[in-house]
Formats: sequence, structure tokens, C-alpha cells
Amino acid sequence: MSMFHASQVDDASSPLMAPPTASLMRWVVIATLPGVMAMTYYFGLGVLSNIALAAIMGVLLEAGMLRLRSRPIAPALTDTSTLLTGVLLGASLPPASPWWLIGVGMLAAVVVAKQLYGGLGHNPFNPAMVGYALLLVSFPTYMTLWAPPQPLLNDTLWAQILGTLPTFQLDALSGATPLDAFKHKPEELSAQQFWSSNPLPEQTLTAWYTISLAWLSGGALLLIKRIISWHIPVALLGSLVALAALFYLGDSGRFASPVFHLLTGATLFGAFFIATDPVSAATSQRGKLLYGAGIGVLIIVIRNLGGYPDAVAFAVLLMNLCVPLLDLYTVPRPTGHSKDAPGVPR
Amino acid sequence: MARLFDFPGGVYPPERKARSAQSPLRRAPLPAQVVLPLRQHSGRPATPCVSLGDNVHTGSLIAKRDGLISADVHATVSGTVSHVDGDTIVIGSDGQDTRQNLPPLDWRATDASVLLTRLDESGVVGLGGAGFPTHIKARVIERHAIDTLVINAAECEPYITADDLTLRCYPSEVLEGAQLIASLCGAQQIVIGIEDNKPEAIAALKRAISQSQPASVTLTIIPTRYPSGSERQLIKKLLNRTVPSQGLPADVGVLCHNPGTLLAALYAVRDGQPLIERIVTLSGEAIAQPGNYWVRLGTSIETLLEQLGLDNARLSCVIKGGPMMGTALETLNTPITKTTNCLIAATHEELPPVPMESPCIRCGACESVCPAQLLPQQLHWYARAQEDDKLERYHLFDCIECGACSYVCPSHIPLVGDYRESKSRLRHNKIEAAKAEHAKHRFEFRQARLAREEAEKQARRQARLAHNKPTDGNASNESNSAPPVDLRSLRIAQTAAKAAVRKAEKILARAAQQEPQQSHEDLETLLATAQENLKAADLQLAQARESAKAPTAEDTP
Repeated sequence: MSMFHASQVDDASSPLMAPPTASLMRWVVIATLPGVMAMTYYFGLGVLSNIALAAIMGVLLEAGMLRLRSRPIAPALTDTSTLLTGVLLGASLPPASPWWLIGVGMLAAVVVAKQLYGGLGHNPFNPAMVGYALLLVSFPTYMTLWAPPQPLLNDTLWAQILGTLPTFQLDALSGATPLDAFKHKPEELSAQQFWSSNPLPEQTLTAWYTISLAWLSGGALLLIKRIISWHIPVALLGSLVALAALFYLGDSGRFASPVFHLLTGATLFGAFFIATDPVSAATSQRGKLLYGAGIGVLIIVIRNLGGYPDAVAFAVLLMNLCVPLLDLYTVPRPTGHSKDAPGVPR
Repeated sequence: MARLFDFPGGVYPPERKARSAQSPLRRAPLPAQVVLPLRQHSGRPATPCVSLGDNVHTGSLIAKRDGLISADVHATVSGTVSHVDGDTIVIGSDGQDTRQNLPPLDWRATDASVLLTRLDESGVVGLGGAGFPTHIKARVIERHAIDTLVINAAECEPYITADDLTLRCYPSEVLEGAQLIASLCGAQQIVIGIEDNKPEAIAALKRAISQSQPASVTLTIIPTRYPSGSERQLIKKLLNRTVPSQGLPADVGVLCHNPGTLLAALYAVRDGQPLIERIVTLSGEAIAQPGNYWVRLGTSIETLLEQLGLDNARLSCVIKGGPMMGTALETLNTPITKTTNCLIAATHEELPPVPMESPCIRCGACESVCPAQLLPQQLHWYARAQEDDKLERYHLFDCIECGACSYVCPSHIPLVGDYRESKSRLRHNKIEAAKAEHAKHRFEFRQARLAREEAEKQARRQARLAHNKPTDGNASNESNSAPPVDLRSLRIAQTAAKAAVRKAEKILARAAQQEPQQSHEDLETLLATAQENLKAADLQLAQARESAKAPTAEDTP
């Protein structure tokens, strides 16, 4: 048995090796920084308050659950996976979400989606997306309150976080995301007419484009550090752009362009940070390609034909459901097996 | 240089070969006592043929092979047998090292069957690690057409330099041994696969190649990558042939040998010297004089390491084999055997203990380095859950246990350990299921033995009858009436019994070569049964022929 371990030898000739699990998760957290900073720049400190609250509550919930399950607490907390879940869910929520909303989301993510299934490595669904989907279905009013781009600090931040701001005031503060606005454009307007009517508050599109590119740069870091493989992001973005282009070519008056789909909403964030969660994704390389492509297709189908403006969470969760099947049918053919006897289960 | 093909996966662990490769090949001191295990090879242990107090010479046969897959064991020092039991023979050295060799043979002028017998009685087995008897491997020609002999000099495991030094010191001898084996198995070409981190061995081989004949020799230098020294991966790399799953290299016309084995085979034939010593790499930070040594088999590891300046204070563990596939020794009080190619006396800093395991996050690092293209992460999952049908479905038995997955796992999961455990559990279950089959074989064996004994009794009785009444016409009439019919059916029975023996041999040889570490009791029984049947059939036929002949002989005068 191997007495050697890649992380234990410093004289190995190939440094291109993924770091140990705990620092792997830390690297993912570090890679979210460009995206998080861009969001904070455009949407204010509410983004950071989301993330901080989600991370703190997540770690507390994880520790509590581990205690109830009589499992060692320290190693599970140092692997940073819960912190990562908190960062991802916090970044998905509308800035300055009330604390209880974040709490409910993290409860669903950490307790239900992760610990009840057996902890790290055992969860069939992406925890952050389970939390997000639950909140989206249960509290749609709060989940659609994306404020327009605003200065770093605004007066109502504390009231918003504490949940004491009256609803009418909230409505007054909120704008719409570009996807949201496009979804609810009047039927009689064509896309071109809609965009020329300046439907969004100032800077909104720039903000979303910049944030998407920031997520992309974080994703590039993950690829360079070999923390994620290229299969899922490439398949996801490829199928998304291809299908969006088909829709757009079919009826450019009704459907948005591929570039719009690529650069707004959670597309790039999802492609690099959500869909690549190895625990809930398919495992073989062929399986990963199919998994990524499936998410891309579902995102466009739901955005263009379904009832939700963005669909990353649902697309990822639906493909999580398919993972056991994908894994079963994409077992690679091992060396020495003939071509007509593929690795498909007997 | 020949074109290179590629195998999937692989890792680049630190090589750490310089420490043992820089010093010249030396001879370890003659041990005062040797402990020789009866099972230093794959298959069954040998049966002792010396008793307590016997005087033996270096090279005397002390244990005879038992069954088809087994090997002879020879005394490795001269002296007195001081202990014999079912597992080991201990010999106290007299310090004289008087030799008892077999007569030298010129292999180019000697019959193949004689050479095979020589390999058999010299106890030569594969020195690379599996310890498969070389004469059985050479006999593969009876079942497969072999066109290529591959010399596996890749030596991809870190630390080990035994093959490197063997080739540097004895290049023409190794090639001569290869020519010998190639002519035995009918291979027309010899391909040497060697990693590019052994420039001196490569230069030595290049000088020696031109004189090597009759088979053509190709030297193929492959880039250093673990596990290119694994038989299947090397054959893929050199010849672009894929050894089928559950198959042998012979299935694609290839025989694979380690340089050390070829050298031992040549010594056995050319000098008549049985396998009594081998080259062992002794390395690690905790010994003062690392290097490669000719070591007598049976030398105590503890004594050997201490003679080379073992620093007990710094020693953390001793590894037998390489760091990727070897095992940590629980006690140093064990002997060097035919399959010990390397000992690493490692310090704590050198091989730090692997950190605590964390959960598998299915990152797929293992999958990308697996040379057999398996899904180690899924296998791990099913191994822990003991889902045996899933394990087989995900081709657990195609795992070559190279350890690349454990090496890269970011969660520090001892994957190969899990797989070994699961494999032995699955095998155990199969053995349990095969027990009924085994019982049947035993019953058939008994029936065959009884039939043979009955036939022998019959023969004796008839001989007595014939002796008592030499002129009795009735008796000869009686035996005369039956034989013509009997003789034919007996001949058919004998042919069938011969075929059964050949089939049983083939099955056993195959099973033993595929899984050298396992015991194949039921297959051995099957073979013994077939052999008993054949003996009985031979006997009956001979007796029927006798009695058919006897009357005519009597009638003529």
C-alpha cells in the first residue's frame, strides 16, 4: 500500500497536483473573492452581511449537528466546506437579506441537505442550492428584492438585516435584475423595443456583466490550480450558449441573446462554483460532460419557457437527481476490456 | 528508437533513486545462519527433503517443489541443518561456503526439455515480486504462440535500483539469459523497456546489444512515469497491445521477465548454480551505506541492516518493496526471500505518516491517475459499504493495486488498502461457494484412487493366476474373449484422462499466474484427481495389453 502521499512529499517532480481536501475548499473560498468584491462594489455592504451571517450560522448549525450525531467536530469544521456553503448561499441571496431568511436557508442547506444525509461527501444535492431553492419557493417576495446598484453603505442596511423594515419601504428600495425585467417585459414589446425603452435603473447591466466576469476570473483560478476540471463548466456554458442561440435565431424578438444569458444572472457563478461541487456532481469524465450539458439546457429551458427568471438552482438540483443514473451509465471501459463489452452495467 | 504508445493515468512520485544507485554493486557478508521459508514463490510451499543435523553445501536441494505451481528451495550457505518445520528450514553456516552445483550446460546445444528441467530444479522464480516459477512461465508455449519477450527494466517504483544495477553490471549476461528464455518460448524478438532515468544502464545495454543473437533485440527508452513497470502498462507502452482483462500477457503473444530473473536463469543453466542469492536494494535515510548488494537468500533483514549501519534512533519503519506498493515490516526478524527486491529503512522525515483520513468528496483526482481506467472513488464507496455486486460491476478485479489513487487522494484515503480488503473478501466468498465443488473433487479423487487400486489388485490377481496355472487353457480363453473390446475403450479412456490432466494443468497454471498470491487448493486437487485417473487408465490399458499379448505368447510355443 502506498506509504507515499503527494501532499507529504516535497521532492515530487510534478507540482501539478490538487491540494488536500481542506485546503481545496479554502481555495474555492479564495476564488469567490473577485465575485464577492465586485458584488459588494455594486450592491453595497449588504452582500458581505449576507455572507458573514450565512457562514457564521452555517458553522454553528454544523457544529450542533455533529454534536447530535456524536461525530468529531474539529476536523469537520476545519475542512471549510460549511464556510464555503455559507459564502455560496450568501452570494446568491438579495443583498442585505434579513437574518431569519438566511437562517432558514442555512438550516435547509446544512442540516437537511448535508448533515441528515451523512455529512461531507454524502449529500446527493448541492447544499447551498437546496437552501436557495427552498427560500425561493417559500419567500418569493424577499427573494426577488434585488436593489439597484447603490453606494457601499446605505441608511436602511441595519433595518433590512434585522428584518424590521416595513414591506412598502422594501418595495421602494428594490429594483429588478436584468433577467427579471426581461421575463416580465410587456408581451407586445419586442426585445429591441424593450431594451431601447431603458427599462433598468442606471448601471444595472454594467453591474451584472462586471460581476459575471469577476466570477469567471475566480473560476479561471480554480481551473489553473486544478481544483476543478474543465469538463463541467465547459459543457454547461457550451450547451447554454448553443441552446440560447437556437432560441434567439428562432425568435429574436421574444428571446434574449446568448450573450445576455451568459453574462447576467448566475450563469458563470453557477458554472464554476455551484455545478462543479464534486460531491453532488457526476464522477466519470463522460458523466461530468453530460451533467454540465444537462444543467446548461435546463437553465435555458426554464429561463425561456418556464416561470422563473433565473434557473441555476433548479437546473443544478434536477441534474443532481440524475447523477446516480449518469454514474451508472458512464462507467469508463477499463484497460483490457474489449470494445463491444462497454462498462455499462449488466 | 521504436515508437512509444501510451497508457492512461499515472503519477510522478519523487524518485529518490540516487541514494542507492550511486554506489557500486557489493556483496553482503556471508550470514552465520540462514532461515529459508518453504514458500518464497507463488503456489504451494515446497516439501523439505533434509532432516535435522544433515550437512549441506551451498546449492544443495533442501526442499522439493510440491504440485505444479511451486519451486525447489536450495541451501544458500554450507553447514548443518539446525531446524526443519512445515514453514522454514534453518541452516547454520560453517563459513566454508562449499558449493554443490549442477553440471554446466551450453543452452544453444541443449534440448529444450533439459533446459526446462534445469530451470525447474534450480528453483528459479520471477524476482520482480510475484515469484512465479520461471519454468512454468516458459512452458506457456504449449498453449500460446509467443512472439515477443519483454525485458521489464522500467523499475518505476521510487527508491528501487536493483534492476538498474543488474543491467549496469551484467548487461550481456542478462541479454544472454533473455536469448535463452526467448528460444525456450519461441519468441523471435526481445524488447527491453527501460525508463529514461537510468542512463548508465541504457549505455551498458547499448554496448551489449550488438553481440546478442539469435533473436533481435530492441532497446526502448520510455519516459519515467509510475506505473510504467506494471506488466500490462509496459506492454501497452512498448507494443501497443492490450492484455485482456483477466488475461495474461501470453494472450497477446508476450512474455514479460525481469532482468534479475533472466540473470538467475542464465546462471542456473550456464553455471549450474541454483537460485541462492539475489540483488537487493538497501536504501533509506536510516542506513549509513545504502546501495545494492548480492544477498544470500535467508539472510536475516535485521542482521543485514545492522551490518550496513542502521541508525535505530532515526528509524521509523522498514519497508519491503517500494514505497508505492510495498509493505511496512512488522518485525525485522524475517529473512530475505526470492522476491525481496528492496528494503527501505525510512526515517520519520522521509516518509511522514499519512494524515487522518477525511471524507471522499468525489473530486476525481484518483480517476484521472488510474492506469486501469477504473473509477476509484466509486469503488471506494462500494468497498466501504461492502456492496459486492457493485464492486465487480465496477471492475474491482481489474485494479492492479499500483497505489496511484492513494498517492493523489486529497482526503488521504487508503484506497488500495480498501480494495485489497474487498478483493480478499470477495475471493473468500467465492472460495466458500467453491467448497461444495472442492468436496466433489475430493470425492472424485477418492473414486479414482479406489479404481486404480482395484485395477492394481486385479492385475496382481491375474498375474498370480497366470503364474499358478500357466498351461490352463480356460484362463487364457477367458482373458482372450474380452480384450479386443476392452482395449479400444481403454485407449479412449486413457486419451480422455490425458486430456483431462492437460486441461487441469492449464487451468491451474493460468489461475496461479493471474493471482500468484492465492492458494489454489481445489485446482490442485482437480489436477491430482486427473493424474490419478490417468494412472488408473494407464495401468488398466497396460494390463489389458499384457493379457491380450500373454495368450498369444503362450499359444505359439
